[in-house]
Amino acid sequence: MKYMKGFLLGLANGTFCLAYCAPILVPYLLSEAKDTKRNYIILSYFLSGRLLGYFAFAVLAWITNVTVIQNLANRTAILGVVYIALAILLMVYGFINKEQHCAAGLFGTLKNKMSDRYQALLPAALGLLTGLNLCPPFLLAFAAAAANDSLWNCILFFLAFFIGTSVYFTPLTAIGLFRRHDFLRPIGRLAVGALGVYYIYFGFVTIQRSIHSLWIPAETIRVQAEVRLKRLSLPCPCS
Amino acid sequence: MITGGSGLPKDSLQLTAMIMAYILINGIFYLMVLSIKTDKYRSLLFVIYAVCFVITFISNLVEVRGSMIVTQEDMVQGHTPFCHMVIPMIIVPAALTRTIIFPGSMLEGFAAIGTMLVLWLGASIVLGRGWCSWACFYGGLDEGFSRIAKKPTIKNINKKWTYLPFAILLVIVLTSAATLSPTYCAWLCPFKAVTEFEEISSSTILLQTIIFFSLFIGLVIVLPILTKRRIQCGLFCPMGAFQSLTNKFNIFEVRIDPEKCAQCNLCVKTCPTFSLDEESVRSGKSRITCTKCGKCIDSCPKQAVSFHIKGTPLGVNFEAARLIFIYPAFLFLAVMGSGMITGAIYRALLLATTGSMIK
Repeated sequence: MKYMKGFLLGLANGTFCLAYCAPILVPYLLSEAKDTKRNYIILSYFLSGRLLGYFAFAVLAWITNVTVIQNLANRTAILGVVYIALAILLMVYGFINKEQHCAAGLFGTLKNKMSDRYQALLPAALGLLTGLNLCPPFLLAFAAAAANDSLWNCILFFLAFFIGTSVYFTPLTAIGLFRRHDFLRPIGRLAVGALGVYYIYFGFVTIQRSIHSLWIPAETIRVQAEVRLKRLSLPCPCS
Repeated sequence: MITGGSGLPKDSLQLTAMIMAYILINGIFYLMVLSIKTDKYRSLLFVIYAVCFVITFISNLVEVRGSMIVTQEDMVQGHTPFCHMVIPMIIVPAALTRTIIFPGSMLEGFAAIGTMLVLWLGASIVLGRGWCSWACFYGGLDEGFSRIAKKPTIKNINKKWTYLPFAILLVIVLTSAATLSPTYCAWLCPFKAVTEFEEISSSTILLQTIIFFSLFIGLVIVLPILTKRRIQCGLFCPMGAFQSLTNKFNIFEVRIDPEKCAQCNLCVKTCPTFSLDEESVRSGKSRITCTKCGKCIDSCPKQAVSFHIKGTPLGVNFEAARLIFIYPAFLFLAVMGSGMITGAIYRALLLATTGSMIK
């Protein structure tokens, strides 16, 4: 029943997870221009990475009993670092043309070998980094998992949550139907790079916010919130 | 149409401004028809329109709000003017949540969402991406800067960058749907620098404002001067990319007659939005991104390039096709621009007579 709860939680909130991951997955799948069958394989790499991210949190939830994540400053700092790592990966993929450096000889062969491996590694890494995304439903799952008594239960709960959310990702493989439109490939690739730039902004802003919240006393934040809400003529929930 | 259906103004300054705008717009149209030069006169009015838009818009904001700054209160109360740049971002969230993710008003006030949507829809049906050279109130800014230098300093631009507007379009559509906020307006719009921007109350907003101004200086001023192309419109604007899709069903297009073409590629070199390449010259068709500005038509020494109505024979009655296109196109430019031009002339007259542009 406990795992069923995890599955239902995933199923109920899967659209949120899709909304967070689709901006990365859609341009990536377009840039790869593979058929639907091959897209399933790419998606499985991506979801495996995401599952790994979930398991990492399951372990963290069990060890820390939620205290680390419940702290706002820690949470935003982790998120900021994750965003920046994701952004670097996206920009390297989007803006650096791998074919350009594929000269003949040892370097070329090595690069090609790397490229073959990179085909599996990149979607998995993207999945891992988006899996570490602390979106609201995920935090809900995190809190529920932390309430479980053993590490094994924690992992199984996250597995159930993962299966519930993954259902929503399968329609994205249909992007393979558009692979014959050659112009979509550079668009997808540039979109991945542009998204990297967007996440860089986001990452720095998030880290800056966490530093800000560490240095400013809680009382100041409360007063600032009160002033802003007063200007909007809204009641302050903190008073 | 210049009066906006509200009759002639009683204020003598406003009436003078309106008469001056009327003479200017009609004079330019007369010259356009008479001289057979479409782009020469279109660009003149288009640049005037964009400059006047900035003057009128900022003056109105200062008059109503006291500054160019949009506050949280304005956003909560839906007082943010809606511009067409937001349109690609609102479609998916509107379909999913039945909500317009923009802090504006649907029908009331200055630049309401409904008014802008109707104008844009009408222009898209009639002009396709011609919107970007005949109706957009921002396009004239980088067009103006692109015409300052005599020769381009940067000549070779990798063709792959012409896909960038589509990539940005994809990113903003997906991120707006994910975050339920217009991400282009929040992070990337260069024209915030000359319209309105959020009150700087945090380092995030400061960063956003720095980005807006940097993009404006880079994409609208510096690069157009160096390349003699409309860089913002041709290599960045996601609305332009979105608008390109309307060229698919629009009846007007720009075609190259292979029998007359001398393969000089002058049209390719002069196209301000990178909508012609060697492949276009070979096939006789402009790319989907063509804004129908008419610059290639004006510059062709062999008159091989012309406006064309889909379904009609090529190279026959090209002057008729030009006139059939420029009448509705110019009408849109006049409708969209007259209020702005009148407003700017009025502000200039106000400045000359009272010493202030604000009433």
